[in-house]
Amino acid sequence: MSLYEGAVKRPIMTALCFVAVVVFGIFSYSKLPIDQLPDIEMNTVMVFTYYNGASASDIENNVTRPLESTLNSCSYIKHITSKSSENVSVITLTFEYGHDIDDLTNDVRDKLSMASMSLPDDVQTPILFKFDTSMLPIMMLSVTAGESQPALYKILDENIANPLARIPGVGTVSIAGAPKREIYVYCDPAKLEAYNLTIESISALIGSENRNVPGGNIDIGNESYSLRVEGEFEDPNEMRNLVLASRNGSNIFLSDVAEIVDRTQERAQETYSNGIQGGMIIIQKQTGSNTVEICNKIMSMLPELEKTLPSDIKLGIINDGSEDIIQTVNSLAETIIYALIFVILVVYFFTGRWRATVVVSVTIPLSLIASFIYLAITGGSLNIISLSCLTIAIGMVVDDTIVVLENVTTHIERGADPKQAAIHGTNEVAVSVMASTLTIFAVFFPLTLISGMTGVMFKQLGWMMCIIIFISLVTSLSLTPMLCSKMLKLEKKPGRLHTILYSPIQRMLDGLDRWYAGLIDKSVRHRKTVALLCLGIFVISLLFLSGIKTEFFPADDNARISTTVYMPIGTNTERSKSIANYLATTWMKRYEEDMKVCNFRVGAADDNNTFASMQANGTHIIAFNITMVRQSERHYPISQVVEEMRADMEALPEINRFMVRQGNGMSMGSQSSVSFEVYGYDFDETDKAANDFLTSIKKIEGVGEAYVSREEYQPEYQVDFDREKLAQHGLNLTTAATYLRNRIYGATASYYREDGEEYYIKVRYAPEYRTELSDVENIVLYGSAGNAIRVKEVGKVVEKFAPPTIERKDRQRINTVTTIVSKGAAMSDIVAAGKQIISEMELPDGVSIQIAGDYEEQQESFHDMGVLALIILLLVFIVMAAQFESLKLPFIIMFSIPFAFSGVLIALGITGTALNVMSLLGAIMLIGIVVKNGIVLIDYTNLCRERGMSAIYATTTAARSRLRPVLMTTLTTILGMIPMAVSHGEGAAMWRPLGIAVIGGLTVSTILTLVLVPVLYCAFQGFEIKGERRRHRRKLELAAYWAENKGNMIRNKAAKISPVKK
Amino acid sequence: MKSVFIAFDQVYTERVIDLLTRLNCRGFSMVEQLQGRGSKTGEPHYGSHAWPSMCSGIIAMVDDSIVDTLLAELHKMDIATEKLGLRAFVWNVEKYI
Repeated sequence: MSLYEGAVKRPIMTALCFVAVVVFGIFSYSKLPIDQLPDIEMNTVMVFTYYNGASASDIENNVTRPLESTLNSCSYIKHITSKSSENVSVITLTFEYGHDIDDLTNDVRDKLSMASMSLPDDVQTPILFKFDTSMLPIMMLSVTAGESQPALYKILDENIANPLARIPGVGTVSIAGAPKREIYVYCDPAKLEAYNLTIESISALIGSENRNVPGGNIDIGNESYSLRVEGEFEDPNEMRNLVLASRNGSNIFLSDVAEIVDRTQERAQETYSNGIQGGMIIIQKQTGSNTVEICNKIMSMLPELEKTLPSDIKLGIINDGSEDIIQTVNSLAETIIYALIFVILVVYFFTGRWRATVVVSVTIPLSLIASFIYLAITGGSLNIISLSCLTIAIGMVVDDTIVVLENVTTHIERGADPKQAAIHGTNEVAVSVMASTLTIFAVFFPLTLISGMTGVMFKQLGWMMCIIIFISLVTSLSLTPMLCSKMLKLEKKPGRLHTILYSPIQRMLDGLDRWYAGLIDKSVRHRKTVALLCLGIFVISLLFLSGIKTEFFPADDNARISTTVYMPIGTNTERSKSIANYLATTWMKRYEEDMKVCNFRVGAADDNNTFASMQANGTHIIAFNITMVRQSERHYPISQVVEEMRADMEALPEINRFMVRQGNGMSMGSQSSVSFEVYGYDFDETDKAANDFLTSIKKIEGVGEAYVSREEYQPEYQVDFDREKLAQHGLNLTTAATYLRNRIYGATASYYREDGEEYYIKVRYAPEYRTELSDVENIVLYGSAGNAIRVKEVGKVVEKFAPPTIERKDRQRINTVTTIVSKGAAMSDIVAAGKQIISEMELPDGVSIQIAGDYEEQQESFHDMGVLALIILLLVFIVMAAQFESLKLPFIIMFSIPFAFSGVLIALGITGTALNVMSLLGAIMLIGIVVKNGIVLIDYTNLCRERGMSAIYATTTAARSRLRPVLMTTLTTILGMIPMAVSHGEGAAMWRPLGIAVIGGLTVSTILTLVLVPVLYCAFQGFEIKGERRRHRRKLELAAYWAENKGNMIRNKAAKISPVKK
Repeated sequence: MKSVFIAFDQVYTERVIDLLTRLNCRGFSMVEQLQGRGSKTGEPHYGSHAWPSMCSGIIAMVDDSIVDTLLAELHKMDIATEKLGLRAFVWNVEKYI
């Protein structure tokens, strides 16, 4: 018993099997986490190596280069980039995608242990660090505070950060912009000198006074007591009365030479939200945990936590990672609903029967729900990819069902009862349904094999589509016949309402059938004209090619802008802050209604702020985080805001360079960048080349911003000690340098403990005694004999420039010019302009410029997709050749593919959409979708031929009979995509190009296929018949020749065989 | 006793067997998959790509008195759904065991 026969004969079992699938699917759905993207495989490992005291070039020569040459032998390495700066070397290894990062990390570790032998002795052991998406913050909270500002850190740490960090899945909670409390002992150098005291001695004294010392146990009588000395300060002011020394019977108290100040850190990062100072709480998640779930928990906890805060502290949300995800998922869900409605309407429009519509529509939710089971089993999530996949699939899952339903209806109309009609009707089309499903498999299965950035998206898409299409195939061969047998019946008398509503549609469809049959009848008699006409259309469509720009991924509008501003190196926090304030007020005024949060951080970050220390920070750097209101409620598109912000910053001469990023800064969805890498050893030459290039590229239209990666030489004061003079005083360089450090940076004397918290007690010069160079020069050092010497006596304070960070890529020094592609411009234009500039530049020997960045990734992806398209073409050909047992027919059908590409080009050209990975994916999908139409047409034409019709009559008959199924399946796919192509919701920008490409390609290709394929079929049949006639004629001629010359030939042969007898 | 050979489109199967049961014709032999085509208008039933439908055949042993009723009923069935195709032929049964 076949599948469909079994299904029809056992309707209860069939129905319940599918009910079980639905129940299991819904259960899986309820368990599915929601996320932005599928898990992205990581391919980056970083190696940090510290070598204290070494300059950038020392680090480069002694640490980076040996490590690079050893690490270069790791397998699957794509690029090695490195940054050698003072004290530290950071090497980043980028691997080819598709390999297990843990194995690769082990390999790196082995190589490192090998290399560490050749490193200088003082180098610390290299630290391995795997980059992970969980490093990106999932939520940022802004905190504004009034009088609680000085104690903000402690309040936030205890009341917010600690409770939040206890939520399962939350990784680190960092507090930025809330300086910590520190106790300073500000000394007066003159008084110190007068009393012959040093910072060191004060610091040592404080350390030894501020202690609790256990004194052992003592037995008194029968009791045992422990003995303790409790000397820890209970109040910082207790320190005032510490006796530093006794001179001539009188005590010198600490308060005589110093002032005790209980305050916050002197230098700290400051954070402002909408103009009010406060702090920022940055929450990162643990790897593998679910963003939406964590954000929800945090959001539900916040109101309670807020109650524990003093009334002047207000919490706000700068960035909620789950908001984006939920918006995206909601807008996609909306798209799915629209697609569903469209598809159902199309089915009703063509069949005119509600029963048939129900039978077809049932397949859609079934196939989609079943795919949730797959997601749940493989640990997937509901994300942009999986949901978009459902939208794409909606139009395609009904195709098989439509074919089956159509054939069963034909049987019923011929008089069969529904049950028998369902079995035999399905039996007749089962093979062709499977074949056309196989062509879809042929398209989507190879997608699962791609790796890389594009692989992240396509792997899940490929699997999902394969699963959904497979379920739809099974449904069409089991549930559909069962439902047909139960629901369909011969309509002997149509209802009145139906007649009124549907008869105009019916008349129109009948007319269309007739018109199309007539068109085909004419076309097949003018085959050359039609073929030339189609060729003409193809050539015209190629003209659009020149107008189409290319990019990598479409830029998305997620209402977020991040900006980093670099002032000249050495600018102090105050100056940076005033610029930041100016920018913030300008922007907040201009986009008053549109800007939700304008947050900025300025100043150098503290070491224990995990988030900030991973990002660029310094007194000259300002980092903005701006959240706009949602796209639909906004007056300006984000791209315009970004452009205007760039113009504002361009106008400020104080700003050295800036980076404005739209989106979350990941390579998907943000604006594309093109990097021009200047390779060369000599700093001056590469700097000059990079700057020349920068000046030229900035003039090119479409370059949003451009900057050089190498920083300027950093001005600094160095104290050059004279070693001989130091030695005369019994000092060495380290001792002298420590004296300097303790006075300016401060010496950590001890910890002040209060309520279980520890605060630094730092002894240093009071701020007013470290504002001038002469203050440094007058610092007093004490020699081994206790003699006082001033710094200027043993050394000189000179201004110098420290070399910048040395960047290398693939073991060569590099200086990168990065350009951001602005709205409306395309990456291809900038690359072309860049190439032009490079060819015009006169580069010195040993300096070369190469193009990288998103462009490199784009080229790789485009290449991958080209290979993929070839594989898919071949697979589709194989499937069709196997079905038709012919090499000629698949060849004819494949003529519809070039027109799909024409359609894609025309659609992209008209809508002004750039060619990117998404539109290419659309084009690739079309290979499978468009040949389905050809298969349906040719299959029926073949059938007519087998029934003995002439070629022309067979094509006309087939055309008339197959027009509706072809239009129906095509329209379901096209209309299913329309919501995707026109949607402006969150995350829609990503998929719009795909929708546009598929709609354009499928429309043009279907219209042309419907004419061209019958014409080509007739043409090939004509060639075949001519060929057969020719062969037949030759056979006849040969036979005639043989009959005429038979006697002679036999005689001659016989003579040759027996020449002797002659 | 007559032998009636009924050749029909597969989709009739249930209806024909029902009819035989109703007329109390108990004995019959059936070939489920049968190829064939009609002499005049009947479409071929080959189970092939071009002619996917198939026939079934039933040889029923029927009492003389029922033959006419049976043929009449079958004819009614055929006329109702002409496109499917149903034919019946009657022989004499000479001997049987």
